[in-house]
Amino acid sequence: MLAYVIRRSAYGVLTILGVLGLLFVLFFVYAEPIDMAQRALGDKAPPEVLEQWIANHGYDRPVAEQLTDHYRRMLTFDFGRSDADDAPISRRLREGAGPSLSFTLPTFVLGLPLGIALSLFVAYFRDTYIDRAGVVLAVLAMSVSVLLYIIGGQFLLGKLLHWFPISGFDSSPGVILRFLALPVLIGIAGGVGSDVRFYRTVFVEETNRDYVRTARAKGCGDGRIMARHVLRNAMIPILTRVVVAIPFLFTGSLLIESFFGIPGLGAMTVEAIHGNDFSTLRVMVYIGALSFVGFQILTDIAYTLVDPRVRLS
Amino acid sequence: MSLRRWALAGLCLALVHCTNNPYPESDEGARVRYQALSGPIKTLDPAVSYSTLEHAITAQVYETLLEYHYLKRPYELIPGLALAVPPPRRSPGGRVAYAFELRPDMRYQQDPCFALGGEGRTTREILAADVAFELMRIADPEVGSPVVTTFTKIVGFSEFAQRLAERRESEPGFADQRIDRQYALAGGIEGVRLHGDHELEIVLTEPYPQLLYWFAMPFTAPVPWEAVVFYDGNDGRDFFREHPISTGPFEIAEFSKHSRIVLARNQNWYGVLHPEWRAPGTIYPSEGEVGDAEQGWLDPDYVGRPLPFLDRMEFRVEKEDIPLFNKFLQGYYDASGIVMESFDKVVVEGRLSPEMSARGMRLVKTVEPSVFYIGFNMHDPVVGTPGGVRSRKLRQAMSLAIDVEEYKRIFSNGRGVSAQSPVPPGIYGYDPEYRNPYRSYDPERARALLDEAGYVGGIDPQTGRPLKLSYDIGDTSTRTRLTVQFFVDAWKQLGLDVTIDATNYNRFREKVREGSYQIFQWGWIADYPDPENFLFLLWGEMATAKNPGAPNTANFSDPRFDELFLEMKDLPNGPRRRALIRRMTTILERERPWIELVHRESYALYHEWLRNVKPAGLSLPTGKYVDLEPELRSEQRLAWNRPITWPAYALAIAGVAVVIPGIVTFFRERQ
Repeated sequence: MLAYVIRRSAYGVLTILGVLGLLFVLFFVYAEPIDMAQRALGDKAPPEVLEQWIANHGYDRPVAEQLTDHYRRMLTFDFGRSDADDAPISRRLREGAGPSLSFTLPTFVLGLPLGIALSLFVAYFRDTYIDRAGVVLAVLAMSVSVLLYIIGGQFLLGKLLHWFPISGFDSSPGVILRFLALPVLIGIAGGVGSDVRFYRTVFVEETNRDYVRTARAKGCGDGRIMARHVLRNAMIPILTRVVVAIPFLFTGSLLIESFFGIPGLGAMTVEAIHGNDFSTLRVMVYIGALSFVGFQILTDIAYTLVDPRVRLS
Repeated sequence: MSLRRWALAGLCLALVHCTNNPYPESDEGARVRYQALSGPIKTLDPAVSYSTLEHAITAQVYETLLEYHYLKRPYELIPGLALAVPPPRRSPGGRVAYAFELRPDMRYQQDPCFALGGEGRTTREILAADVAFELMRIADPEVGSPVVTTFTKIVGFSEFAQRLAERRESEPGFADQRIDRQYALAGGIEGVRLHGDHELEIVLTEPYPQLLYWFAMPFTAPVPWEAVVFYDGNDGRDFFREHPISTGPFEIAEFSKHSRIVLARNQNWYGVLHPEWRAPGTIYPSEGEVGDAEQGWLDPDYVGRPLPFLDRMEFRVEKEDIPLFNKFLQGYYDASGIVMESFDKVVVEGRLSPEMSARGMRLVKTVEPSVFYIGFNMHDPVVGTPGGVRSRKLRQAMSLAIDVEEYKRIFSNGRGVSAQSPVPPGIYGYDPEYRNPYRSYDPERARALLDEAGYVGGIDPQTGRPLKLSYDIGDTSTRTRLTVQFFVDAWKQLGLDVTIDATNYNRFREKVREGSYQIFQWGWIADYPDPENFLFLLWGEMATAKNPGAPNTANFSDPRFDELFLEMKDLPNGPRRRALIRRMTTILERERPWIELVHRESYALYHEWLRNVKPAGLSLPTGKYVDLEPELRSEQRLAWNRPITWPAYALAIAGVAVVIPGIVTFFRERQ
């Protein structure tokens, strides 16, 4: 297994280096520094101030020097400063991680069991109207854009029914829950449809296997069969789906954070896109790529833990 | 209790306790004004901060030497930290000097940075040297102040910047020294002279009376060197740009850049330390313009009372318009603009709708000191000066083809004042009676002028086809393209073929620098309330072709206009100045380097509990004049935001009613 992990890690490193190269070309070769300066300083900034900004940020150096600096910085996690406001990017990452996780973690922790439980439920009642209605609702739920959930949720639950604040964020212990309730609810609603659709298929496939029939013939209860045998045997596809989702817990949700004013990493990415803040954007893409590759390797290792039949070679 | 009962009890509890109030309950009844910020603040460094967004904060935190009278229009300067508005003093060689005398015994807010000046020190007196220090910061190339060009009229300003840059470049270790020492070693600015602790003399190379307006903006507010040195972002300390040291009525109590900024009263503000002075900027004014009393802005309950009235000002970052507006309707913001989507619901025939009036709201319209226009590149051979009379008639015809009333109706819900000249309402020289003969919509006359220009029916005699022109825009958004299409369609009615060339903003600026453009669209919002700040946009010396980066993008250059401008810019407001402005307007109306479109108008909504809000148009320190009635606000919020819980119960019951029969049938069939 060690050889496999080393080989996968080597592929991962190459992938990351490639991503970094692509980022440099897109953000710092193709993009014009004057555009970035203009965005950072505003329309009224005179040309000499724009030039000074470009010099202060090192965008007037030779491309080779900038490329070396780019790789050195990223590989040593020295993220530098934002092009938009000169704030240290690592500090912004630290500040944004909390709000992002405070929304994504509950969404994940509540949404995953809910999705699995609902899938087990409809899979158990397969071929009844509960199953069919469940599938139809799941397809409907996954077909609707998150944007509609956000606007609809804000309108219905915030504006009309007055259950939650329409938007905003305050990390004070007394009020944080009321700000997170609606985004979490929307996050769960936005994800549960595809979860149910996917997990139900997995569970239905498992319930048709011989070991389920054997267990039932031996007098094993339905609840025990679903919870212990079917769920355990369906762990590989569940694990694959779950691990792929984990990196996005850290990078936050672009839309939900922006619409609800949650000052997390998703909102930070959107701001960076709007503001031509390529220094911040490259860090976000880099972190996303890094965690994606890392978690892919972890997924492979986890397969061996949940299913002893899997051998990595 | 069964699991199902627990779940039901939990749901009930959650619904009973659910609330849409975004503020802690402890804030109920407090004199806190809640405002929205449309995005995060980039910087609060007064030398750099230039956007309206940033000035919403800096204007409350930084007290300036001068300020504007809160109520009077046209705008009038009054003393702030200075004892008086200084008159100009002529010196030999055409130089002009202004001597500011600062009030004694004024102090900065409490802050640990002052320990750099002496152990245990938490504040110190505001000195004239701090204003000089801030002017040197504006000159410092590393600070990157966007207003550096304005101050080059101070004697020795550019030379100081050059010396500073050279010494940093050539002398090892120079840049590592404390910033105030670097400035001192670079010799300071010759035209910024200190006479004792409280007197500051500014010497200008030429007359520039508008300089005084810049001393009413945060750019020139006193800044202690200790703050710049201490707040360097190292060892867990903030950056200075996020940690302003207040000289104003409010100080930063919390700075969460991406979510909220809280301002609390500054107990060291000179109005608090010295109420006996009754300085003009520390008490509510007793006079204003005509109509202010009727609007409630001269309420006897407030006139003459010491400022500020609020305990706190809270700014919440609210990037999306619709949630912001909905929260305003729920009473969680005290004021708001009007989103396009709800405009017809809020405003009916130019007035507040009965529904909104019934909620006690007020609608206040303000024409901003701004002008938006279509410009012609006067260096272009077809539309510009080289084309002579033919081009002038073409410009006049194109101007007459634009129906600005229709434009306003389609794109801004009818908001805005149709512009007749560059000078907007509220600025000296604006004449509400003046009608520009080329700014009415008259397609027949436009066609006639086009015929006279030799473009009969819009046909270019050289090609035998419709005259081809290009309209450059530095914005690729659909909305901008639609607005431009409106103009292009109007010119198409004359037979002209105008194509839209949409690029990003910097490509557009590049084209402007290269002179490769014909028609463009731009706008200007006043830095200060003086006609010079608008008419200089057409001064020959400011032509972009002559001086890259200068704002006369039309490259308009007319010796008669320039001569009148040079005389007008240094004159005090009076009949002579007004007459000069009128003559300049007459030149513009005939030459048509611009097609003036609108002076933008903002509609603001205020809840009835908010007091004394007079919209300013400019970014002014208005926070100290505003008050509110927290009890009324609490009552209204409560009445408007009672949670409606029955849909939750109905949904739960419906869910159970649908699922249970299915489960029962399933088990029955299996048995």
